[in-house]
Amino acid sequence: MVNYGGDEVSALVLDIGTSTLRAGYAGDDTPKAIIPTCYGFKKEPPTADADVQMDENPTEGEAPKQPAEGKTAMYIGNNGPSIWREDMEVAFPVRDGLIQDFPPIHNLISHAFRDVMRCNPSDHPVLVTEPAWNTPANRERMAQIMFEEFQVPAFYIANTGVLNAFAAGKGSALVIDIGQSTASVTPVVDGFVLRKGLVHSALPQLVQAHAQHLLTSSSGRPGIQLLPHQLIANKQAVEPGQPPRFTLRQERVGGTTDTWRRWYEAREVEEWTQSVAGVLDQGWNEQAASTRGPRHYEFPTGYNYLFGSERFTVGEQFFVHSPQLVASNPNLPKTIPALISSSLGACDPDLRQVLMGNVVLTGGGSLFSGFAERLNNELSRNFAHVRPLFVTNTPLQLRPLTGHS
Amino acid sequence: MVGPSASDVRSVLQLPNPSTPTPGPSQLRRTQTVERPRKPEGLPREVYSLIGPTAVPTLVAQFAKPRLKQKPNLGGSGRRVRWEWKSFGNGARSDGLKLSHWTKAGADPEAEYPFAKYNTQSNVLTYSQDEYTRLLEDPGWTKEETDYLFQLVQEFDGRFYIVHDRYEYPNGTPRSLEDIKDRYFSVCRKLVRNRPWAGDDAGKSQLLASLTFDKERESTRKKYLASLEQRTPNQIAEEEALYVELKRLEQTERKFKKDRDELLRTLLGIESGLPDIVADEDGLNGGSASYAETRRNRRKGGEVETPVSATPSASTITLNQPAPKRQQSAKSAAYDALHCIQRIDLPPNATTSTKSSHVPVYLRSYKLPAPKTAAAPRIAQVLGELGISHTRLVMPTKENCAQLESLIEAAAALVETKKLVDKVDQDIRVAKIRLASRTSDGDEGETPGAMDADDDGEGAEEDEEGRAQSVVSGRSGRGRKQARRSMSISSVDTSTTGGPKRKKRRGE
Repeated sequence: MVNYGGDEVSALVLDIGTSTLRAGYAGDDTPKAIIPTCYGFKKEPPTADADVQMDENPTEGEAPKQPAEGKTAMYIGNNGPSIWREDMEVAFPVRDGLIQDFPPIHNLISHAFRDVMRCNPSDHPVLVTEPAWNTPANRERMAQIMFEEFQVPAFYIANTGVLNAFAAGKGSALVIDIGQSTASVTPVVDGFVLRKGLVHSALPQLVQAHAQHLLTSSSGRPGIQLLPHQLIANKQAVEPGQPPRFTLRQERVGGTTDTWRRWYEAREVEEWTQSVAGVLDQGWNEQAASTRGPRHYEFPTGYNYLFGSERFTVGEQFFVHSPQLVASNPNLPKTIPALISSSLGACDPDLRQVLMGNVVLTGGGSLFSGFAERLNNELSRNFAHVRPLFVTNTPLQLRPLTGHS
Repeated sequence: MVGPSASDVRSVLQLPNPSTPTPGPSQLRRTQTVERPRKPEGLPREVYSLIGPTAVPTLVAQFAKPRLKQKPNLGGSGRRVRWEWKSFGNGARSDGLKLSHWTKAGADPEAEYPFAKYNTQSNVLTYSQDEYTRLLEDPGWTKEETDYLFQLVQEFDGRFYIVHDRYEYPNGTPRSLEDIKDRYFSVCRKLVRNRPWAGDDAGKSQLLASLTFDKERESTRKKYLASLEQRTPNQIAEEEALYVELKRLEQTERKFKKDRDELLRTLLGIESGLPDIVADEDGLNGGSASYAETRRNRRKGGEVETPVSATPSASTITLNQPAPKRQQSAKSAAYDALHCIQRIDLPPNATTSTKSSHVPVYLRSYKLPAPKTAAAPRIAQVLGELGISHTRLVMPTKENCAQLESLIEAAAALVETKKLVDKVDQDIRVAKIRLASRTSDGDEGETPGAMDADDDGEGAEEDEEGRAQSVVSGRSGRGRKQARRSMSISSVDTSTTGGPKRKKRRGE
């Protein structure tokens, strides 16, 4: 096992993000448990819950919980919200990187530690990550959960930006973290976050919304129905661009909640974004976009289409806001270059060179096709006065760190 | 191998092998006899007879013994090391937290935790209330804020960027990084200066020097830095262009200077005053060196061939090279022969390196031997009569120059002799006239007779030689006579000078 210069005290690391909760052993390369942070729940008497449980047992790994509320059944983990259940709602306890809803957090952590990693948290010191804009109240609540509900022997809260910088092997770095809901730029100097230079915006949500609008609106082609595959009984192969031919599971349609449907649509858009959307490395250029070739994508309904240059408009949202969008919406989240420049502007001039020389790009959103190249170009164009640039792309996964103080 | 055996010769000539075993049987035959019985297992007889007894690459041979990678020997002699999950305390912690880790069994449980030493503490100066009121009062700072500052510096180990970032003194004025640093360092300086110092003065001044902070300078520097960053792209582009232009100019200038130096060195040599003239001695190092060598040798050759024009200290470019260094190795001699380089030893006293005595490189044709200016027209006339142009040599090789020089010398000697003869002739004529006038006065002398006899005798002796020589063939009778006389008169001179002259003419 790789030892990162510290002692091996078999600490657990817990990283709660907006989309996924990652847990693992300190010093490992990848997390052992990656589960969605969102969960499904049903408000119904426990008797009916037992029936559902029996239905789902053959699908393995299912972990229905009986939380303290009693009336609610929670469906957590990889087989939680992704399985259709009658009247199941989906909730998101983490918003903008911060935990807003603490009751289900215990269940999520317990699922990750006990059911996925099969370890007892009371045997291990735990390192929990927090975004740099975490509130002291949140931090106290997390400590309370850890000590009181899990009886951990030791607990430490580390900053994600600092951990990302350390994972890239840097003590000082400008960490650009593109998450599912939040994009943040964190200057880290000597292992400390410069709070004055910390900026974050809900840019990924805007990108997501743009992608969803792009798919569902009818511009040149009919708007696409983002129907979940769980609701489709059968479908037939159709030519690209032709209307889909499928039959719905009528018996399920009635029992589908709005929250679950929205969750699914967001997930479908996200999948489409990850596989089809991209960004041009030299700024928006209709001609360059058309030369890149279309990409094929098939939706659960069977509708498939060759997405041409429009797929590059999605990634453009990360870097440039169109003037009409700015005019119509004054409170747009800042673009990545704007975030970086405002972050740098808040830092000491002496530090800017150091920070721009150690740019660490991380987070799931940074795996967006062409993102790293575009960012590199943007940086070298806009920040030419700080010449050396080094963009490290570390994947979204939990960054390892030995968790003792 | 001893040499080609008889069988080898036979096989080359395609002669049949004799049945009787030869004393030196070929290698091939011997292997045949050895290998025949060993027909590989599983190989059909027909195939074996086709491919013959040459080494058959069989899978059997290759895979009979699979060579596996050697297993790494981990942990040495196979003795198992026992590890235990043990709790430990970190000495650097104050809360007495017990964590557990794997340790080797038998390790000292009371040993110092090895990572505890990395929890270092920075020693930040502290001050008492008395010291503060006495020394550290500042109108811009309260004691509480100073305390807060020192606590932050202690907490962040003197990382002022972080201190500045976390600096949130309640109801305090916003402080810039320079303010914070200035306050901290000035307090530290005052404390160090006014406290009794245990060590030596050098240590104290060193510490004080490490605590200096010039707020004005730092602020100005930051301002410059900020203005540097606020340049517009146009300004940056302009600056870039100017920089490129400057670089280009510098390069051009450097090139120009280099060319000028090269030119000066070629034309003036050391007189150009260039310190970096490289005179490579051996010329074995490559093209450029041998080029320099050739140049130098030509120059030296010129010096020696022109003793007339040689400045007293026929100079050289060999600046620091003493005369003994001219000993040539066999290798360099061969090199010289190959490249037609002739080395001329300089006179040992000629190794002066003053600028005035230096003779730069010249072509040999530029310093052809010239007659002395006084006698030049007459010598030119003599040579013109011979049909030789002494001002121009078609092929000014070393030998030709030497011959031309000796020719001019001979001509000069001839002219000199002739002048002498003319003078003597004139004397004789005058004497004869005087004698005649005297004899007319009654005194007949025998002097002319003696002179005549002398003249005749010499003349007869000279005649053959004179005829043979065609040097005076085109001259008048008088001239011929004079020439003959001159030969007889200055016999020593003519004999020495006549030789080469004659030779030269024969050569032509």
